[in-house]
Amino acid sequence: MTCELTLRDPRSIARIINLAHRFTCRCTRIDAVANEESTSASLAFSGNPGALARLRAQIDRIIAVEGVPDERTDLQA
Amino acid sequence: MTSGAAVVLDALAREGVEIVFGYPGGAIMPLYDALYEHSVRHILTRHEAAAAFAASGYARTTGKVGVCCATSGPGATNLVTGLLDAMMDSVPVVAITGQVRSELMGTDGFQEADVCAITQSATKWNVLVTDPAKITSTIAEAFAVARSGRPGPVLVDIPNDVFKAKIDHVEFTPRVFAIAAPPPVVSETAVRDAVARIRAARRPVAIIGGGVRAGHAVDAYRTLVAMLGIPHACTINAIGAGSPGDPHDLGMLGMHGHKRANIAVQRADLLLALGMRFDDRVTGRPDRFAREAAVIHADIDATEFGKIVKADVALHGDLTTTLGALIDELARGHVPRFDDWATEARLLGGSLPSDRVADGVLSATDVLDRIFAALPDDAIVTTDVGQHQMWAAQRARPQHPRSFATSAGLGAMGFGFPAAIGAQFANPHRPVYVIVGDGGFQMSLPELATLRRYDVPVKIVLVDNQNLGMVRQWQELFFSERYSATNLADNPDFAAIAEAYGIPAFRLRSPDEADATIAKFIAARGPALLHCACHPTENVWPMIPAGMTVDELMEAKA
Repeated sequence: MTCELTLRDPRSIARIINLAHRFTCRCTRIDAVANEESTSASLAFSGNPGALARLRAQIDRIIAVEGVPDERTDLQA
Repeated sequence: MTSGAAVVLDALAREGVEIVFGYPGGAIMPLYDALYEHSVRHILTRHEAAAAFAASGYARTTGKVGVCCATSGPGATNLVTGLLDAMMDSVPVVAITGQVRSELMGTDGFQEADVCAITQSATKWNVLVTDPAKITSTIAEAFAVARSGRPGPVLVDIPNDVFKAKIDHVEFTPRVFAIAAPPPVVSETAVRDAVARIRAARRPVAIIGGGVRAGHAVDAYRTLVAMLGIPHACTINAIGAGSPGDPHDLGMLGMHGHKRANIAVQRADLLLALGMRFDDRVTGRPDRFAREAAVIHADIDATEFGKIVKADVALHGDLTTTLGALIDELARGHVPRFDDWATEARLLGGSLPSDRVADGVLSATDVLDRIFAALPDDAIVTTDVGQHQMWAAQRARPQHPRSFATSAGLGAMGFGFPAAIGAQFANPHRPVYVIVGDGGFQMSLPELATLRRYDVPVKIVLVDNQNLGMVRQWQELFFSERYSATNLADNPDFAAIAEAYGIPAFRLRSPDEADATIAKFIAARGPALLHCACHPTENVWPMIPAGMTVDELMEAKA
C-alpha cells in the first residue's frame, strides 16, 4: 500500500508509522519533506490485506483532522 | 500587558467555558494564579483522573465541551485514561496541561513528561504551545477540533514560561483545517438507494449508537422510527435517545442486551445502523451477525463504513441532515409501516432473566428495579463499569436524551462517580445519581471530598457485592471457578467512610427494608450514599459470550 499525504503536523507521520507497527505491517518507504505549514510524505507499507485495510482506515481518520485542504492525498492498495 | 495564563482563561471564556475541573501543581501554577480572580470557575477534584471524568460527565450530559486541567508530568499522565475514554465514546473534552519551562524540556526536568507524545493516540488532536502570541488561536482551534465532525478530546500543553509570558498583542488567526470544514453532504443517490431498501424490507430493525446523541439527531431519529413504526434497538451510548414509552423500543442490544433486541437483529432483513460502530460487544462475531440483513450505515466518520460490518449503503454525513434526507425521500412516495413486525419483535425473548433467590439476601437487580422505578423523570444517571453498569443499562429508561452516561467503549472503572459530579455541575437543577460497584467506588473514593466541599447533591447508589463482579462472573463461567484477585470480602465500611467525609449514608441490607430505605435516600437533601449489601454471586443475564452470537445466548449458568 502506498500513501501520498500532505498533513499539517509532521508528528502525524510518526503516528502512522507507529500504527503500522501496531497492526504488524512493515513500513517499506518513508520519504517526507516538511515546511512551515505542512509536511508532504510518501509512504509504503506491506502486510496482510486485513492489517493494511485497518491501517488505511486509521490513516483516513488522521487525514480527516490533519489533512491540508486542497492538497493531494492518495492512498493506493 | 497581560499574562499568558490570563490569555488562556480569556480564550476559554470566549468559547463559553464556565467551569474547569482540575488539580494544581508546579508547572501550571501561573494558570491557577490567574484563576484566583477570573470569572471561569475552577472545581478542585481530588485526583486528575477525576477531573477528566468530570469534564466528560459535563460534556456527555450537555453536548458542550468539558474542560479539565492538570500540571505537568504525573498530573498530565493521570488525565490519560479520561482522555482515551472520551476518544472512544466521541466526547468533546479539552484538557489544558502545564509543561515544564521551555529550557528544561528534554533535560528530564522535575515533573517533565512528553505528554503530547503520550497522548497522541488518546486524543483527536494535541498541541504544544511554544509561542505566547498563539495561545488564543490555539485554544480556539482546540475547541473547533473537539466539537466538529466526530467529537473527541484535545490536549493543549503549555510550558510554564508561556503561561508567565507578558503579552501585549493577542494574535487570533485560527488556521483552516479539514476537520472544521462543513460536514460532508450525504449522497442523494445513496439516500434513494436506502429508501428503496426500506420500502422493500419486511423485517427491518434500526440500531442507534452514540452518534445520534453526539450529532444532535435525537429528534430526527424519533421522527423516522415513528414514521415507519420500525422496531429499534440501541447501543449503551444511545440509551435515552428513543421516545419515552415508545412500544417499538427493544432496548439495548449486545453482550448483555435484551434478548428481544438481539433476536430481532438476527432475524432482520435490513439494518439501519445510525451513528453506531458495530463494537465487538454489540456484534459478538461479525461474520455471523445479522446474517440475513442488508446494512444501511449512516455515520459522520467515513472510516466506520466496512470497518467491522460491510455496508450495503453508506450514508456519509451529519446524522441530522442524513435522517432529514431519508425522511424527505420517504415522504415523497410510499411510506411503509412495520408495526406488525415491531409487535412480533417486542414479544421475542420474554423478560430479563435473573439469579435472584429468596434467601433473604439483597439482590442487586431487585434493588436496581426498585430504584429505577422510584427515580424522578428528570434524573440523570451515570454508572461505573461492571455488572451494575449492565444491570443499569438493561433497566434505565430515561425520559430525556443525555440522561445516561457511562464509560462504554473504554470501560474505565472509576468513571461513574466523578462523571456524576461533572453532570451535576452542568445540570444544577436536575437530580443526578451514580450507580457504582464496590470496586469502582474504591477507585474514586477521594471525590467524596469534592462532593462535600461544593455540597454537590449527587446521590450515590453503591451496589456492593464484595467482588469485582463482572470478572468474577467470567471466572465462574469461563475460567473453571478459579477466582483470582476478585474477592473483595475485606471491603471497608463504606457508609462510615462517607460519614467521615460528612456525607449522609443509608445502609440497605435486606429486601424487606428496601422500599422504605430507598424512599428516604431519594428524599434526602444534598449528597447521600445508599450502601446496598448485595448477594455476592448474582450474575448478569442474558449473556452472549465474547466472540459468539445470539444463537449461543445464555440465560443462566449451564
